[in-house]
Amino acid sequence: MSVGLSNLKHLVVLMMENRSFDHMLGGLGLVTTNGKKTYPGINGLTGNESNPDTNGNTVKVQGNAMFQSQLDPDPDHHFPGVDLQIFGAAPGPGRVANMQGFVKDYFTQTNDVQKSHNIMSYFTPDKLPVLTTLATQFAVFNGWFSSIPGPTICNRAFAHYGTSFGQVGMDIFYALDPISSSYERMVQAGHTAKIYYYDQPSSTMEIVNILKNQPQIFATYDQFIADCKNNTLPEYSFVEPCYNDHQGAGGGEVLASDQHPDHNVQQGERFIAAIYNAIRTNPVLWSSTALLIVYDEHGGIYDHVVPPPCMPDGYSASGANAGTGEVFNFDRLGVRVPAVLVSPYIAKGTVVPGTEDPANGRIFEHASIPGTVTDFFLNGDAKRTVREQKASTFLDLLSDQMRTDTDVPYFNL
Amino acid sequence: MTFPNAIDVPKPQAGSFNPKRPAGLLLQSQALHMREALIKHLEELAKLIAVDPKSLKTESDVSAYIHRATAILHRHAPTPGGK
Repeated sequence: MSVGLSNLKHLVVLMMENRSFDHMLGGLGLVTTNGKKTYPGINGLTGNESNPDTNGNTVKVQGNAMFQSQLDPDPDHHFPGVDLQIFGAAPGPGRVANMQGFVKDYFTQTNDVQKSHNIMSYFTPDKLPVLTTLATQFAVFNGWFSSIPGPTICNRAFAHYGTSFGQVGMDIFYALDPISSSYERMVQAGHTAKIYYYDQPSSTMEIVNILKNQPQIFATYDQFIADCKNNTLPEYSFVEPCYNDHQGAGGGEVLASDQHPDHNVQQGERFIAAIYNAIRTNPVLWSSTALLIVYDEHGGIYDHVVPPPCMPDGYSASGANAGTGEVFNFDRLGVRVPAVLVSPYIAKGTVVPGTEDPANGRIFEHASIPGTVTDFFLNGDAKRTVREQKASTFLDLLSDQMRTDTDVPYFNL
Repeated sequence: MTFPNAIDVPKPQAGSFNPKRPAGLLLQSQALHMREALIKHLEELAKLIAVDPKSLKTESDVSAYIHRATAILHRHAPTPGGK
C-alpha cells in the first residue's frame, strides 16, 4: 500500500452536470509548446473531428464554447437521443457506433441548422482555469464514461448504488434489496458518510430513496465548508452543486453552479474551486483527502470517443422503456465525461489512459465510485452488483510522495 | 495565510442570474421526486393526527406520541445556518 493510501482518511466526490470530456477538456489536446503537444497523453481533440449536419455539410469541432446562452434549448440527453448521437442512425442491423449523430440530434431540438452546430463547441483551456488546472496538475481520466447512454437520474443512481435498478431515464425508481446505497453501507458498518447539497432551495437529486429514508445523512454546502475547517468531515462525502438560480435568504443572487446547460459555466468553475480550496487550505485535511470531480453525463454534447462495452448489471430495459424499440441490457457505457482526481499524493500531470491505449487503458464509470468507497472503507464487504464489483477503482493512483505546498495550486475567488 | 501558485477565477458577468429561466426536465423531475417522497410524511402525519390525545392514558403513551410529533416538527424546522 502506498504512503498516500495509508494516509487517506477522506474521499470527497463532487458530481457536476451534463458536459462531455471533449467539450470541457478536449481543447488540452490542441495546446502546443515549441510545436509539440504540451499534453500528449490526454485523449483530447485534434481539431479535425466532425459530424454531418442535416444538410450533409461537415461540421468540425469549434473552440467557441460560451459560458451561457449557446446551448439553449438544452441538448437532448435522453436514451433515444443519445442512441442517435452515438450511432448516427436509427436502430437497425449492422449499425456501428461512430459518434456522428450529435449535430443531427441537436437539430431535432433547435430546428435551426446553424444553431445545431453549437453542439460541436469546446472550451479552450484558458476559459476554464479551474478544471484545466486541476486536470493538468493532478490526474485526469481519458476513459471515464457515464454509466448509461441516458440522462441524469439513472446515471447518478450508479454513483450511489452501482446500478440504476433497470432504469434508463428520469422516472421515480425504488432501490431494490439487497443493494443498498454506499452511504447506508458505510453507516451500517460504523463509518461516516454524508451527502452535501447546496442549500434547501436547490436541495438534492437523490430524493426518493435516500432523502426520503435517510434524511440524517444530508447536510448543506455551508456545513461542508465548516466540516472542512473543523476537521469534522466524514470519511465519505458526496457533494452536489446548486441546481437552479434562486434568491438567497438575504435577497442576494444565488446562481446555479451545476454547469447544466444553460447554467453559467463560470459559476461552476468557482464552485469546483471553492470545494478544492476548502480541502487545500486545511493542512490536516489536505494530506488525508482525495477529491474526485466528475460529471454525471455528457448532456448531449459532442465527444469523439466511442463508449466501450461493459459488464451487464443483471437488469434490462425494455424497448419501450428505452424508447428505441430495442432492449437495453446495460452492457455498454454512455458518453465520456470529464473526471479528475486530486490529492497531494498524485504526481503532477498524471494521465490515466483509456480506450485509446488497448494495452494499458482502464475504463471507469460511475459504478467505480461506490466500488472504490466499498473496497477502501469496507474491504468490499457489501451486497452489490457484479457490475460494481468489476468496476475499476481509482485510489491506486495515490503514490508514496507528497507534493510540497509550492507545487500545488490555489484558487483566488 | 498566503498560497503560492494562486490562480484567479473570474466571476460570471453581471446579468447571468436568471431565475425566470424556464425549468428544464431535470428540475421538473426533481420536483416530481420530492412530491413522491413527501407522501411518506403525509401518511405519517395522517396517522398522528388521527390519534385522539384523550385516548393516551399513560405517560408512556403520551411520551411515544410526543416523541413522534416532535421528530416531525423538528425535522421541519429551518436548517441552522441554512440559506
